[in-house]
Amino acid sequence: MNLSIITALLRKDLVLFFSNRFFALITFLALFAYAILYYLMPAEIDESLEMAIYAPELPTSLLNELTEQGMVLIPMESEQALKDAVLEGSYPVGVILPTNFIPNLVAGQTGQVYLYFSTDFEDEFKDLYAILFTEIAYMIGGKPLNIEVTEEILGEDRSGDQIAYRDRLLPLMVVMILMFETLGLASLIASEVSTGTLTALLVTPVRVEGLFIAKGILGVGLAFIQAFLLMAIIGGLSQQPLMMLVLLLLGSVLVTGLAFLIASISKDMMSAMGWGMLAIVVLSLPSFSVLIPGSVTNWVKIIPSYHVVDPVYRIINYAPTWAEVGDNMLILAASALLILGLGVAVLRRKFQ
Amino acid sequence: MSVRRVLVLLVKELLMGPKNMIFIFALVVPLVITLLINLLVGTFFSGKPRLGVADAGESLLVEKVRQIDGLLLREYSSAELLKEAVADGAVDVGLVLPDRFDQQLIQGQPVELVAYVWGESLLKDRAMLGTTIATQFREIAGQEAPVVITMETLGEGESLPWEKRLMPLVVMMTLVFGGSLIPATSLVEEKQKRTLSAVITTSTSLAEIFVSKGLLGVLIAMFMSLVILVVNQALGSNPLLLIGLLLLGAIMAATYGVILGAFIKDINTLFAVNKATGILLYAPVFLYIFPGIPEWIGRIFPTYYMIAPIFEVSQRGAGWAQIQADVIILVLIILVLTGIVAYITQLARRKPEMLPGMAT
Repeated sequence: MNLSIITALLRKDLVLFFSNRFFALITFLALFAYAILYYLMPAEIDESLEMAIYAPELPTSLLNELTEQGMVLIPMESEQALKDAVLEGSYPVGVILPTNFIPNLVAGQTGQVYLYFSTDFEDEFKDLYAILFTEIAYMIGGKPLNIEVTEEILGEDRSGDQIAYRDRLLPLMVVMILMFETLGLASLIASEVSTGTLTALLVTPVRVEGLFIAKGILGVGLAFIQAFLLMAIIGGLSQQPLMMLVLLLLGSVLVTGLAFLIASISKDMMSAMGWGMLAIVVLSLPSFSVLIPGSVTNWVKIIPSYHVVDPVYRIINYAPTWAEVGDNMLILAASALLILGLGVAVLRRKFQ
Repeated sequence: MSVRRVLVLLVKELLMGPKNMIFIFALVVPLVITLLINLLVGTFFSGKPRLGVADAGESLLVEKVRQIDGLLLREYSSAELLKEAVADGAVDVGLVLPDRFDQQLIQGQPVELVAYVWGESLLKDRAMLGTTIATQFREIAGQEAPVVITMETLGEGESLPWEKRLMPLVVMMTLVFGGSLIPATSLVEEKQKRTLSAVITTSTSLAEIFVSKGLLGVLIAMFMSLVILVVNQALGSNPLLLIGLLLLGAIMAATYGVILGAFIKDINTLFAVNKATGILLYAPVFLYIFPGIPEWIGRIFPTYYMIAPIFEVSQRGAGWAQIQADVIILVLIILVLTGIVAYITQLARRKPEMLPGMAT
């Protein structure tokens, strides 16, 4: 295979790809939109329950205990100050524990708690706060439960060091970036097949293998570069960079194979978009396994993109070893090569 | 106008539709968006702590926790399945309740419990779940609450959860996307391929083409918006009235789509017009997303009369009496739009140069 021919084909495809302003625009807009979205999302998760409190006689020891349980209690100077703060929306919840609250409970009498909510506080959560202060009252009143609880933390205990939502969203972004690339390549090939350009090229010294190598390099290159740029911008290469790069490369091969398959069943840009969107929806599903843990069952593992999503999530948040992501890498490599081979075979059959 | 010809054209549109990207989008996009909203707002961003229970007996705890709206409860048939669910993050805390747990608790006997905690669960969720479980145990054990809690919401206003606030946007998108873009795209594509002129030279009239394409938009928009409401369990207490309102909304959107398709020459212009007018079409939904916006602002926009009655019936349980004024305005808008479509069919005959691609 002549290298200069492949280079010429690549140059032609790049010009053609970026001559479609729609895809060119989408390509760059998506990349920067994802990066901006990532940085706009909070880098940390607020694990605390914040509320305003007016409790003139609340012991410091109890305050400390409540703080240890994740509550942030902001003391107010007076009942009116607390109500004003909640009314203004400075705090979603305000609680007043009257002066005789603790003495009453200790004496075995009934205490009184006033809970105030801002207007936009959702009704369904109000009961939880009532339950919370009921339990606090039980504790102050000294009514222990005769229950011995054995607690077992499953997985790494991330309390105080939670995984930010943006890092849960990142695997979905990577899949979307890779898949948007598929739309462009599939559309390009579909239009070349329908206009007969590919067939025409075969009467020149270009051979079928050369065509596919050029298209493959273009697809893998564009997908990989964009995913790499995203990771570089958001700092995704700070842990296990080589592992991440290999993963993105395999993911790029996978989506290039899919682009070949989509191109083989598409007539034009519109149908390539239609099939491509369907593929994006399917390949996005595994992302929900990290975005919303427990929302999808194990069947998502049969979708090849799972083996991009899972290692990306682990590399970003847990810095795994090669052995820990080895299974994912092998399955991803095998499925990427299989789909690429299938895509090439089907597409070749279509235009020859 | 021949009903048979309209039906023939409609069947053709239905058969050819799945090959069109907009048609596929009109079916898939609303479902994907509603799924995302439900997943992200309903569970992921709901902030509700999730409790898993594997109950070897028949503890009252399960029923008691189920009554608490602020928690999500999942039951598991065995401790192994529960442990797996906690490890996967399906629930924040998993509680294994032994057989005869309630009896032991009531009799004051010592009880041993196993609780699994997901490592990535939030501290506040652990605290809420811990206190909730403890309080329910006390109630089962017969302990009397030592406190009276008085709750009050300060200020005026309505607390709508985000999934309800976003519902009008999804329904509106479904109606407008399916109802207007399907007939508009179909007309524009036929003009570009010159098949529209070819069909008009037969005994088929332009009015019949408009009706068939509009009907397709109405069918898709109505079907999908109904699906969205069913999926979101938002049919309300008066589903027949709601279906009628969806029909009117779909007719309004489809008539608007036919007008767009009649005047616009190519797909790029259609999308550009759609982008430019989108903010006007969707403006009323901001009333629901941001309840502080005065209602009169929404009433300026015609699509308010499409979405407001639907929202009132599906979310606030309104009946005909509460929405009739808005529905009458909606019908008047539809009549005006239909009049414009009728005028276009006349215009195509008298001044074909004004409607390129539709000359008879």
